[in-house]
Amino acid sequence: MEIKRRDFLKLFGSISGALVLNGCGLDDVIELPDTLLEKATGGPGIESWSNTICSLCPGGCGIRVRLIDGIPVYVKGNRVYPVNQGGMCPLGLNALHALYNPDRVKTPLKRSGDPGSGKWEPVTWDDALKTISEKLATLRKEGKSHQVGFLGYDERGLMREHISRFMRAFGSPNYYQFSLTQNDTVAYQLLQGRSQVPAYDFLNAKLILSFGANFLEDGYSPVYYTKLYSRHRERQTRYIQIESRMSLTAANADWWIPVRPGTYGALALGFAYVLIREELYDVEFVKAHTLGFEDWIDQSGEKHVGFKTFVLGNYYPERASEIAGVPSATILELARELGNTRPALVLGDGGAIANTNGTFALMAVHSLNALLGNFEREGGIFFIDEAPFQKHSAVPEDATSRKGNRQTPIADSEDVAFPLTNFSIDSFAKNVLSARPYPLSVLFLYRGNSLFQTLNHHDFANALRKVDLIVSFDSVINETSEYAHLILPEHTFLEKWDEVPNVPSVGFTHVGIQHPVIQPLYDTRHTGDVLIEIARRVGGTVGAAFPFDTYEEEIKYRMKGVYSSGEGAVATEGVRQLWLEYLQQRGWQIGRYASFEEFWDRLLEHGGWWNPIRKKKSWREVFRTPSGKFEFYSQKLKTSIDLLVDEVGGRRSPQNVELVLNRLNISARGDTVFLPHHEQVPYEQDMPLHLITFRVLPNRDGQASNLPMMQEMFGYATRRYWSSWVEIHPETAATYGIADGAWVWVESSIGRVKVQAILSQAIMPNVVAIPFGLGHTSYGRYAKGHGVNPHWILRNLYDLISGKPALEATKARVSLAS
Amino acid sequence: MPRWAMVIDLDKCTGCGACMAACKMENNVAIVDAEEAKAGRALLWMDIITTHEGEYPNVLAKRVPKPCFQCDNPPCTKVCPVRATYRNEEGLVAQIYHRCIGCRYCMAACPFTVKVFNWYEPRWLDGATTCFNPDVSLRMVGVVEKCSFCAHRLQHNKEVADLEERPLQDGEYMPACAENCPADAIYFGDLENRESTVYRLSRSYRASRVMEDLGVEPKVFYLSKRMT
Amino acid sequence: MTRSILTRKSVIIAGVALFALLAVLLSVALYPSDHVVQPLAYNHKVHTENAGLGCADCHANAEQMASATIPSLQVCQNCHSGEPISQSPVERELLKYIADKKEIPWKAIYKVPDHVYFSHRRHVVGGKLDCSVCHGNVGEFTKPVSFEEIRVTMENCMSCHQQQNVSNDCLACHR
Repeated sequence: MEIKRRDFLKLFGSISGALVLNGCGLDDVIELPDTLLEKATGGPGIESWSNTICSLCPGGCGIRVRLIDGIPVYVKGNRVYPVNQGGMCPLGLNALHALYNPDRVKTPLKRSGDPGSGKWEPVTWDDALKTISEKLATLRKEGKSHQVGFLGYDERGLMREHISRFMRAFGSPNYYQFSLTQNDTVAYQLLQGRSQVPAYDFLNAKLILSFGANFLEDGYSPVYYTKLYSRHRERQTRYIQIESRMSLTAANADWWIPVRPGTYGALALGFAYVLIREELYDVEFVKAHTLGFEDWIDQSGEKHVGFKTFVLGNYYPERASEIAGVPSATILELARELGNTRPALVLGDGGAIANTNGTFALMAVHSLNALLGNFEREGGIFFIDEAPFQKHSAVPEDATSRKGNRQTPIADSEDVAFPLTNFSIDSFAKNVLSARPYPLSVLFLYRGNSLFQTLNHHDFANALRKVDLIVSFDSVINETSEYAHLILPEHTFLEKWDEVPNVPSVGFTHVGIQHPVIQPLYDTRHTGDVLIEIARRVGGTVGAAFPFDTYEEEIKYRMKGVYSSGEGAVATEGVRQLWLEYLQQRGWQIGRYASFEEFWDRLLEHGGWWNPIRKKKSWREVFRTPSGKFEFYSQKLKTSIDLLVDEVGGRRSPQNVELVLNRLNISARGDTVFLPHHEQVPYEQDMPLHLITFRVLPNRDGQASNLPMMQEMFGYATRRYWSSWVEIHPETAATYGIADGAWVWVESSIGRVKVQAILSQAIMPNVVAIPFGLGHTSYGRYAKGHGVNPHWILRNLYDLISGKPALEATKARVSLAS
Repeated sequence: MPRWAMVIDLDKCTGCGACMAACKMENNVAIVDAEEAKAGRALLWMDIITTHEGEYPNVLAKRVPKPCFQCDNPPCTKVCPVRATYRNEEGLVAQIYHRCIGCRYCMAACPFTVKVFNWYEPRWLDGATTCFNPDVSLRMVGVVEKCSFCAHRLQHNKEVADLEERPLQDGEYMPACAENCPADAIYFGDLENRESTVYRLSRSYRASRVMEDLGVEPKVFYLSKRMT
Repeated sequence: MTRSILTRKSVIIAGVALFALLAVLLSVALYPSDHVVQPLAYNHKVHTENAGLGCADCHANAEQMASATIPSLQVCQNCHSGEPISQSPVERELLKYIADKKEIPWKAIYKVPDHVYFSHRRHVVGGKLDCSVCHGNVGEFTKPVSFEEIRVTMENCMSCHQQQNVSNDCLACHR
């Protein structure tokens, strides 16, 4: 055949091109600083291990990090740490992706464009701290120290005290925390006088009735509760879950009972009816340790309706069934099972409390525990003491800080609202916007992502714009910190020191010690250390408030108290049940250390300290109420509302009481207000379907969205990787002509989102559920642009008493997207 | 000669997915982006099969972790034209990446769809490359991969045991999924060792295997009272 | 009028040229580490004879770990800690590295790919192999190691395994 010279050359060219082989396997893109890169690729390969604590969720699990040549390459559970005992959740296993995340802020940044523009300029630490401390010093000089706010996340223990100390010494009452688990404890405060999350003895209970508490997937410590749950066969524990949508916990329960959103309280009272009627409750306990069960007369001679009369008169099973959508036969059966099983535990969380009537609903749920006498006994409810830390000295205050600390906190409602909130983000945003009672000049943001999680995002975003100087301490820029003027990047948890004490709801006193497993990769600093430096730059008593040079020294100082107490022990192999029984029999003292240094070394080696022995509490300690008893009729609530009534004119006039109750949007009247009762949620009449949201384990509250593997695993149960969906019952879907997988609009009175529909038998008819956590507009390349944020279309409503965002108080309609 | 098997207690397993994540981290399994995942190409060596049975409100939710079943009579090894996948003497069905030509015949042959394929160069998403586990090699485009019962761990464990001139103890060699399970639902061990946990549990009245009538002799046993 | 270049002669020449090209490429691929030049002219013989050092004295990890390490500067500093102990100009170069606190950029000769599990400890302690079996009589070398005594190839590993009656199961080494 004829091949011309030209053709031959062309052919040769293409062949030689193909000889350039594609690089196989190893990808060159490694996001490590150059100094570490050399070690990573050329070192001798020496292996070492280090124990620390994970911070990707509030669960506080102990992790064991494997290092090769000092570089972390793998994370697994720490077998000796008592909270998780070697178990991990999928989120914690991504610890390294958080450390090596390419979107980490590597140096302090200053914003040079509009919020959300993504225009940041690097600045030096010195410049940034100078700007901040000069502004703060000026405010102090002008007597405006209270115009500084600090918005934290879910920190507790030393970090919370450290920040409180800073704000107190500086002179501002405005330290707040916002996360989706804040304001959870108001019901316990009202009934028992303890604003603390209780711990539940799952191992010894025979029946666990959960109203919306998704403890295997969400909640405070999923790994801890998974471990307890895993013993259910040998302990013969029965799990019953009451929830509108079948969560992971409901999927693993023995019985799932679907309930209408916003009606958990009514259902609980329906059970209470049966328990009281059929005398299945603990009569002794109720007589001796509760107030307000029978009708009673108070000190001023006023008659009050008792819980018994109230429930028997209002919550007979048919009524409870009508409200909650649970068949009355089921209510009877379940209440009888509850009443005839001992020990039987009742807990409430999740959907039960995420509504306008959440506090009242949780009061109703928790009252069941009082009826069953579940306090200070095996298989019951306990409140865990804090570890015996050495206390810091008193915070020094000068005239300026004293004046500042006396000011009204800026998040206090101007109007009558949320009488018992730790922090109302609604009031905060409104007040900052209107500069009442005073403007906010400086705001510190510590972790968290309030703008993404809140319901009032328009108001909140506008409020942020009003602040002169916003400083964010975080390792990745998210929606909220896009509004910051300065980013002071902090270490990720594998690079820093912290004290991780008492994970809420874990059944023993413990302290985890988080310490760096690697030197900080970038030019980041520990927030605790930064606050110390800012305080010292501002000077005076503010600087004097921090006698320690570093946060690490503070941890050591506090732990000296634990060491001196002689209580508990460093986490060791002795976490198994038999060992505990041995200790309980022989008294308690397995921790013997020659010196504090030895104690400290062992602490760092193993990861933490714990004390599994619970000190028996007196009833006065269990019930820190005015009466020293469990108060069905909450005197605390009465006092708080009385104070509000006094503010508007005094209790003499019943119109004032009416005014306050109306402003609080409470529809109950008289004694009912202070008893656990079902407060109706003001749902929209013109919308047909309930819209609820839920959180999944790979993402929790949206903070894990910058981790690529967790984005991939987001919908593993429904095979919707990287994306959102809406779950609809097939009957409901049929009425709208929606097939499985169809794209639909979910529209509320606020807005609408477009998602794919999943038809599911595991959700109540006329309820639709969208997972929370996706829909980021910032927060890195893996978070941005995936899924939708259902909070964007929820109504701006909050729990009437606690100000907690009411996530299930919205109704919606669904239609096919064309 | 040991014969490695796994027992998964479904009554303890909650379906949390920790095993999925642990496996991916341990074995440097690539993460795929949204499009590929939508096309069903997520690389999951350990997968969790979620199904709902029954009608509302009597819904039974099943969450079943599914690793490679390391069959004793594996159909996948019989169809491989280049012996890139084969069953070794200890019952582990190996996947030798450098031999694989990517014909995907084994993927079709596996009745449990445990094999996954690298459709694209495992272009680890920026930054996600840094936590390579140095004990497991990185795969290249065009090869099949699957759960290996963390065979690389066996290499380490065997070396230690051989140097100490003793056999492997029960529980010494554990894959990443079993190690990290928060519910302690995954057991692993040697079926030929009469004293091992898996030997005992595989003979429990609650034990069963998937699709036993196919005759492939899977070596993952499921314990369940609630579900069949 | 154009003539086709595809004459018999030209095809033969092209074929030979292509073959030669392939041969060169293959040889480069199969024999990559031909005569590498090390940064320091290290003399093993001086150290084994005069200083009486054994292999494991410097390459410590051969008995403990999977990889035997090329010694870091710290190992050299055990003896060479400031004052020169010989007349060698090479030692003076070493002392400069020590003074600058810079690691010597040795070029690794023996490289095991990442998909292979090779444990020195198993071969040295378990298999009781002398280092010279694979690495040659390095103790006698006066010039630094610049090529592989036995090339790290699958054939070489497997043939020795076969001779020694040790497992040649793929999973024993592949990972």
